[in-house]
Amino acid sequence: MPASGADALKPSAFLPVCTATCLLVGATSLFFVFTCPWLAATICPAVPPCCAILFLFVLANFTMATFMDAGVLPVASEDEDKDDGFRAPLYKNVDIKGVQVRMKWCASCHFYRPPRCSHCSVCDHCVEDFDHHCPWVNNCIGRRNYRYFFLFLLSLTFHMVAVFTFGLIYVLHHMNDLWKLHFTVTVVVISISGLFLLPVLGLTGFHLYLVSRGRTTNEQVTGKFQGGVNPFTQGCCNNMEYLVCSPISPKYMARPCKKSIVHVQPPFLRPELDQQMPMKVGDNGLHTLALENKLLKASEQQANIKGPDLCSGFRESPVRGIHQGSVSVQPPLQPNTVYSSLPLNSRSLALKHSCRYGSKSQLPAMQSDGWRSSPPRGIVTSSTLLANQSSNDGPPFNNFINPTEPQLMSQRGAPSVNFHSHFMMLGSDGSVQCPPPHSYSPVFMGVTRQSPHLRDSLRDLVSQDTTLPKSAAARYDNFSKTIMASINERRELEERERMLHLQARSQAHYCADVGIYDIPSKRSLAPDNAGPPGSRGPTPPAYGSREFLMSTGILTYGMRTSPLSNSSTLSLTHGSKTSSSQLQNCSSSSLQNKGRSSSPAYCPSERQTQAVPSSTSTLPRLTSTNSSAPPYTSYATAKRSSLPFPSEGKESVTLGALK
Amino acid sequence: MATEFHNLQEMQHCASLVTKVFIQRDYSEGTVCRFQTKFPSELNNRIERTLLEETVKTLNSYYMEAEKIGGQSYMEGCLACATAYIVFLCMETRYEKVLKKISGYIQEQNEKIYAPRGLLLTDPVERGMRVLEVSIFEDQGSAGSSPSSTLSSDSSAR
Repeated sequence: MPASGADALKPSAFLPVCTATCLLVGATSLFFVFTCPWLAATICPAVPPCCAILFLFVLANFTMATFMDAGVLPVASEDEDKDDGFRAPLYKNVDIKGVQVRMKWCASCHFYRPPRCSHCSVCDHCVEDFDHHCPWVNNCIGRRNYRYFFLFLLSLTFHMVAVFTFGLIYVLHHMNDLWKLHFTVTVVVISISGLFLLPVLGLTGFHLYLVSRGRTTNEQVTGKFQGGVNPFTQGCCNNMEYLVCSPISPKYMARPCKKSIVHVQPPFLRPELDQQMPMKVGDNGLHTLALENKLLKASEQQANIKGPDLCSGFRESPVRGIHQGSVSVQPPLQPNTVYSSLPLNSRSLALKHSCRYGSKSQLPAMQSDGWRSSPPRGIVTSSTLLANQSSNDGPPFNNFINPTEPQLMSQRGAPSVNFHSHFMMLGSDGSVQCPPPHSYSPVFMGVTRQSPHLRDSLRDLVSQDTTLPKSAAARYDNFSKTIMASINERRELEERERMLHLQARSQAHYCADVGIYDIPSKRSLAPDNAGPPGSRGPTPPAYGSREFLMSTGILTYGMRTSPLSNSSTLSLTHGSKTSSSQLQNCSSSSLQNKGRSSSPAYCPSERQTQAVPSSTSTLPRLTSTNSSAPPYTSYATAKRSSLPFPSEGKESVTLGALK
Repeated sequence: MATEFHNLQEMQHCASLVTKVFIQRDYSEGTVCRFQTKFPSELNNRIERTLLEETVKTLNSYYMEAEKIGGQSYMEGCLACATAYIVFLCMETRYEKVLKKISGYIQEQNEKIYAPRGLLLTDPVERGMRVLEVSIFEDQGSAGSSPSSTLSSDSSAR
């Protein structure tokens, strides 16, 4: 009974399984003691051994069905959850052998349930190929133990038939000895076996039917493939073969821990770029790559030191004069190609950028070039390091030799005093600051971005700028400063607009009496309004999304209409549990749904019927505002709170508002 | 010398986890274990397409081998029945053996191909065989302010 949920561990949950065990073992033992000796003597001496083997088989399968992990899927980690974003839909369609199958989001386990997987409300976990939760073994029946359950049923049927038959034979032969102990016991045994034979036979027949059709109990009961095609069936014979002979799938929970350390240490290799990288010819005739592509690889370029035209795969003209000049002045470095297409003044700035940046990270990156052909030698005359390394073509990190570093360091010279970018390694106090991986020089702010990643990086960069120490910020030159200021202004404006918009929206909601429940949920709308996947543009928060929840009720705790907002929050729950802990789960999952919740008016049809009344019944309670009932305490103590800090603040605020 | 030592520390690069990419299961053939060979766009500039596809295809073939219904699985089933499943206490199932092979393969791939590119594969079995997790690391540059560079891909008991 490897159940981890609260319900499965209750004492009352053990009652059926104990009863079943007692009946099975007890009745069979009595049969063996009182009836079998006569049977062995009269009918055949092989009868008791065969019955014993059958009974052993029954017990073994019963034990396996009871104690074997059904195929429990572990709860998804937070990282995986974030990947789906705030506006992910409740269902995801997947095509299985031409049939569209829906994968539902599991609010407890934080993943889209694989096909045939279902969440057991008793055990509170998702089970692969979920059949049903069997109270007689107090365990879920799923992918891993369905075979044992089926064989248990089958063998139990035969066993009960055998006990009943042989017991009847004994009784019929001993009609004269009605009040003898043996007789009485045998009568009791055949009564028990006769009584339970019909239900067990019925269940066995039912499962035989399911196996022949390739369905699980869950699918049969919910009528999933009633009218349509079942993509999981392979024909009756193959289904039987799969049932009996398929390999046992592995256990996912509590796997043995094995230590396998893999060192992930920079510098990292990068794939060779495609040849169709667009080239730009700069003012001075230098061939450069397109700016956006270079920016993508800004921090990890393994520049061949040949001047501006690089990205790793190119073998172009040698270092131009300007670079040589700058190189000779600056510490040895490999000019980063990123900056080379800019006008002259910014280029020199950019080169200084890359000096600082390149001297630290580019240098080891050079050494990892071993997996390509060795870089041309002697291109950068001032780099003694390269001369040392160019002969080494071994694995990337073998060349990361200490002796070169002090050499490099000593050649860095004094840090330039009039200019440090905010990507600087070296702060004013000598402490090292790392540039963010996708950071860009402020001179690139105006460049339009194509991909959300770049946009995000830009936003990250913008947000980082405000937290920079003053000393670094003070070292910006005037050109960057104006750009930074304008960006900050723009950002503030956008935020102000957004706040105003949200407030206006929330005001509109509170004004309408039934506004909250009339607004269609995100899920009831067509899926194409979800926007492009991965889009992170500043769209207004979708109804039901986490941002919306935050904006409408929970963060605006100053408003007196908070009960309504809380009811709206709880009405947006995605409850699919049937027990009384449903509200607890609902409320705990409401903040975690991030767009996968909906108002109860728009709940899906297959949500269990108990779900709807209980969730709607909570609403009057909430609006009355004077019940400090357990749901709110459970709201605060949501056990699967996976949201970061702001959500915890929300919960405490909500409680405060209610009380 | 003190300055030199300080500089050496600064030179020690660390990787930090930036994001994770999840390669989902391919359910087009049913519930057999297969992963999508579609190349995630986030890994465009991190690893060659062919390498990742090769890894995923090899993993898929391993899983197919593990789930194959054939002579060995029959024998295993019969033996298990005959011994009242006691054999499971002593012997490892075929699937588990293949899983060990898979984890060895993933370890090897990580060491040879992915870690040098700042990526790390996580064995799908740790995620319930739902996703193949690819962790993306970036160079943070400084040892002082960044988390440790060594990351273990060990599976933890849950």
